Amino acid sequence: MSTRRWRDLAPLGFTLPALGWFLVFTVGPLVSLFYFALTDWRGLIAPRTFVGLGNFTRLAGDPVFHHAVRNSLVQLVVTLPVVIAGAFMIAYYLSLKPRGHRFIRAVLFTPVLLSAPALAMVFVGVFAPSGLVNGLLKGIGLDAAVRPWLAAESTASIAILAVIVWSSMSVSAVMLAARLNNVPAELFEAAGLDGCGHWRRMWTIAWPICRDYVGVVTMLQFLWTLFSSAAVVLLLTRGGPGTSTVNLSFLVYDYAFNQSKVGYSQAIAVMLFVVGVLGLLGIRRLFRQNY
Amino acid sequence: MRRSGPLMYLAHAAVWLYVLLLLVPVYYLLVSAFKDNVGILSAPFSPFTGLELGNFAKAMEHATLGPALLNQGYVTVAANLLTLALAVPAAFALARARGRIGVLVERVFALGFLVPGFAALVPTVMLSIMLGLFHTREFLIVFLPASAMPLSVILLTQAMRAIPRDLEESAVLDGAGSWHLLRSVYFPLSIPTLTVVLILNFLSFWNEYFFALVITGPDTAVRTAQVALPTLSLANASQYGVLAAGIVITLVPVYVLYVFFADKMERAVLAGALKG
Repeated sequence: MSTRRWRDLAPLGFTLPALGWFLVFTVGPLVSLFYFALTDWRGLIAPRTFVGLGNFTRLAGDPVFHHAVRNSLVQLVVTLPVVIAGAFMIAYYLSLKPRGHRFIRAVLFTPVLLSAPALAMVFVGVFAPSGLVNGLLKGIGLDAAVRPWLAAESTASIAILAVIVWSSMSVSAVMLAARLNNVPAELFEAAGLDGCGHWRRMWTIAWPICRDYVGVVTMLQFLWTLFSSAAVVLLLTRGGPGTSTVNLSFLVYDYAFNQSKVGYSQAIAVMLFVVGVLGLLGIRRLFRQNY
Repeated sequence: MRRSGPLMYLAHAAVWLYVLLLLVPVYYLLVSAFKDNVGILSAPFSPFTGLELGNFAKAMEHATLGPALLNQGYVTVAANLLTLALAVPAAFALARARGRIGVLVERVFALGFLVPGFAALVPTVMLSIMLGLFHTREFLIVFLPASAMPLSVILLTQAMRAIPRDLEESAVLDGAGSWHLLRSVYFPLSIPTLTVVLILNFLSFWNEYFFALVITGPDTAVRTAQVALPTLSLANASQYGVLAAGIVITLVPVYVLYVFFADKMERAVLAGALKG
């Protein structure tokens, strides 16, 4: 190796510890995931036997898995548009610096600081039979609408969706507002002089300018809805009543740690990982800057 | 704001309604933490049903929150220090690197930022068993930095790249080696970003749930506060006051940090990883 080449490379030795750490604790487990998914494996300390694609064919006939796929899909299809469009409109509103915008920003920041257990526990109180929602309904005389929100099949999945939207729309709004702050004000003023209203300014000027950044926020929201919602499901409904609120990420945990189907759960984890990567690539394509 | 059409009134109304929706559960949490059961049931929204501090003592006792908070603090601080020890030298090298390999390494970290680590829950537990560290806090301490590494390295690399080369050249002329350069030029000049990274990682380590749950397990001596907190919901099914007090206790460190570092914290959130 020439000395010049060596001089360029030697300092990169400083990156080796960080790189090694990342390989051992992040990449390593992800790679072995693909092997574990091919095994029959009943418990963490039980022996594994290689069964090839058996776990994957079993998935095809597992109604709980089908339920989880449907719920995860519904969660993505509902929360992504609602959160991104809602957050963008809030961000645009904030960029107009209306009265109280500082206060609004501070409030939007609140859910960020909540851990998943804290978030879930707050909503245990909100949806409890004698909790906040029912208290409000009774307070305004709608006693007929009072119900055990988390214990009824028809309302439990709606409650989960509400928690996902509640906890993530505000963060996305704060992020998008910061991006909109960097847009030169003259752009909007010129449009205003042309008689262009806020609604059109928001979607025909602000949105295209922020397009790539909206893509990043959408990716984060996608990851949140697909993966982090597992904690919300686990702590609010444990997938119930019945299997009405199971989603894919919850099922990975539940099968592996509560139902002694470790190898089988890893087949779901592989599917989840693949869906995650494909989804991220898809979102990136969708929001690629095209001007 | 200037002239407002009907749409603008709708916007005002919608945003303030959303603000209200964000605040009401938090308000309910806070007032419930200071109420007994009768108060919560009979006057759920009144802030004036006496000041019941017993909830906090009960929460500490029922979930053994004392040791849990210490564990959480131990894991958070140690993992944060380890992350810095690994990320700072890496960022230093990447910021000064020329050539393709540096770019390649940087891209590895950039991709890692979007790797959904949750999928590797079980393999991570297997790794902890292999290392003989299952059911220990120490595994969390060595594991968590790996998940924080991509973003920490990227943010620090960007900050260090912005440091003027002249500063480095004068130090090199004085005969400074790499370590000296890192210590006396790059480290001090990147302290603002370093603080943001520290806060970012503090938040994500303090709030870590799933990996803490499967790694530390149910043992009250090693489990973290986030793992201990939900047990209050099961143990005190009919007492939201105790649960609310428990939530408030685990939130205190984060909000104290927010009070002191509000703007740094916002920068940390904008840096983007908190939702993951």
